[in-house]
Amino acid sequence: MEDVLTENPPPSRFFQEDLNNFASPPPEPPLPSPFILFSSPKPELPLKPSLLIIALSSPSLHIFHSCLPSKTLIGTLIIPELPFSGNTVEPSLQDKSCNIYSLSDNNNENSVLLISVQLPVSPERSNLVSRLLIGQDIVPERVIILDSIQSRNFRGRLSPDEALAAKLETSSEKKAAAASRLNLDYFPSGSVIDGLSASLLSRCQLKNIRGTLVVSWPEFDPSVVRFVGGLLKSIVPGLDNKSVGKDLEMYSSRSGLKKDAWLDSDLYT
Amino acid sequence: MEFVVEEGKLVHEECSTLILPALSIGNVGQLAVDLLVSSTAAERVGYLDDLNLLPCVGNDAYGPLPCGDIALPLEVYESSSTATTLAQQRSPVAKGMMIKFAENIAEFAASNGKKDVIVLASLDFQRLHNLDLSRGPQVYYLSNTESDGRDDHCERLGFGRLGEYDPEGRCWKYLSSVFDKNNKEELSFPSEDELEDIDYYPSLPFAALFSAFKARGLKVTCLLCYCSEGDNIPDAFLLAEAASKLTGLTPDKFHGEEGGKWRIPYSWKSMYGAPPDMSMF
Repeated sequence: MEDVLTENPPPSRFFQEDLNNFASPPPEPPLPSPFILFSSPKPELPLKPSLLIIALSSPSLHIFHSCLPSKTLIGTLIIPELPFSGNTVEPSLQDKSCNIYSLSDNNNENSVLLISVQLPVSPERSNLVSRLLIGQDIVPERVIILDSIQSRNFRGRLSPDEALAAKLETSSEKKAAAASRLNLDYFPSGSVIDGLSASLLSRCQLKNIRGTLVVSWPEFDPSVVRFVGGLLKSIVPGLDNKSVGKDLEMYSSRSGLKKDAWLDSDLYT
Repeated sequence: MEFVVEEGKLVHEECSTLILPALSIGNVGQLAVDLLVSSTAAERVGYLDDLNLLPCVGNDAYGPLPCGDIALPLEVYESSSTATTLAQQRSPVAKGMMIKFAENIAEFAASNGKKDVIVLASLDFQRLHNLDLSRGPQVYYLSNTESDGRDDHCERLGFGRLGEYDPEGRCWKYLSSVFDKNNKEELSFPSEDELEDIDYYPSLPFAALFSAFKARGLKVTCLLCYCSEGDNIPDAFLLAEAASKLTGLTPDKFHGEEGGKWRIPYSWKSMYGAPPDMSMF
């Protein structure tokens, strides 16, 4: 049991530094800005995919890597303060990386772009990263973001053995034809989502881009992997749904693939 | 900071009074703004996009039923019937960036025709030295009408002047100087480790906002109440009521429940989490 005197305050309350005008400002010189490195030959920018899918949750990252063999790596996001140590030459689910892939068809190159966010982006850097991924070099018509529900920010009850999923949409997405939208309940009012996925969806709203954030629970669960696979099957051409069932035993317990596996790899480089 | 007007919405120039929260203990300022937005049926007209604000999103906070309208970290609402603009902040400012944030929001207010600013915030009850229970819950104020923080209108309304305001104190002087573009005097940034008890008030976000708006030549009044962490809904009502009195809002301007004044925002239903699991009984 946590010590009530020293445990972290509940999500709606503040740390002392949040309420201090004189908290130490960020160090000088400031951190170098994140940037995108595109593969050679550099594509014509900005890229204008009809659909941009951004995976942040473990189930969605698993789907990206195991069910989309025909994707082409076209770029990577570099966050200067995060080391590459432990990354493999070929993209791997265990890498600390943020790669950009294209699912092209013969008629429309870059019609679907995928971004696989496999590194921790701090809340303080999220706004810079989201501006890079949406609205500058990449200007999508529609965005789908896949993340997990954060229990610390959720006001309802979350059961470890009951899967659930919900969405938040931008105003543009809400106005779109019902048949084209994802059929999910809305994320309940009173709970919030923070971090990079929140920043990405905010960016879509500010830029008047169709955007949907899908959050699921639990974070490591075979049923959630199947759910995400089914969700993506309806919108991504070429998704090999048969592969969704592979290696699902990795998600049956916390002894399987951990969210921070790519962080732990620093110890062995 | 960029002000992004929502598609299809218009900004009303007559909404020259701006009410906004300062981050403070118990989130009281934010709860009070929630109550004011909900009860005046203010309409969202846009968003403020600032790199220094940590990201968050959620479902519509006000209802009557959450309809999936996305909520962003800093939103601007207008109530044309009350000529009031309300800004609601839902997430903290990045550590060490509060002064920059205050400067940005003061710039928004000044360049969008705001003339009067009301900042709602709370103070730690442990800092209250002269407790007078005979008067009931007390609202304190700080105004830039007079150099000592005094304002006749606030006095007539029964608000107590914040006696701890000392414009010559080093931290208050630092805040004044950092927002004053004409100031040539170089004052050193007070280190976190050097702060003393007297520096509590100027160290709070409301003080940065007060100093920033003051430097832009806007009339600014901070309404404050003392509280502890806990159920801060009564404190929110206290501040919201004080703000409505200060702005002269009559009861007919409100769209409360069952003909009353206040409408509880839908998001408050889950403020303290889910009810207990009755199946265990």
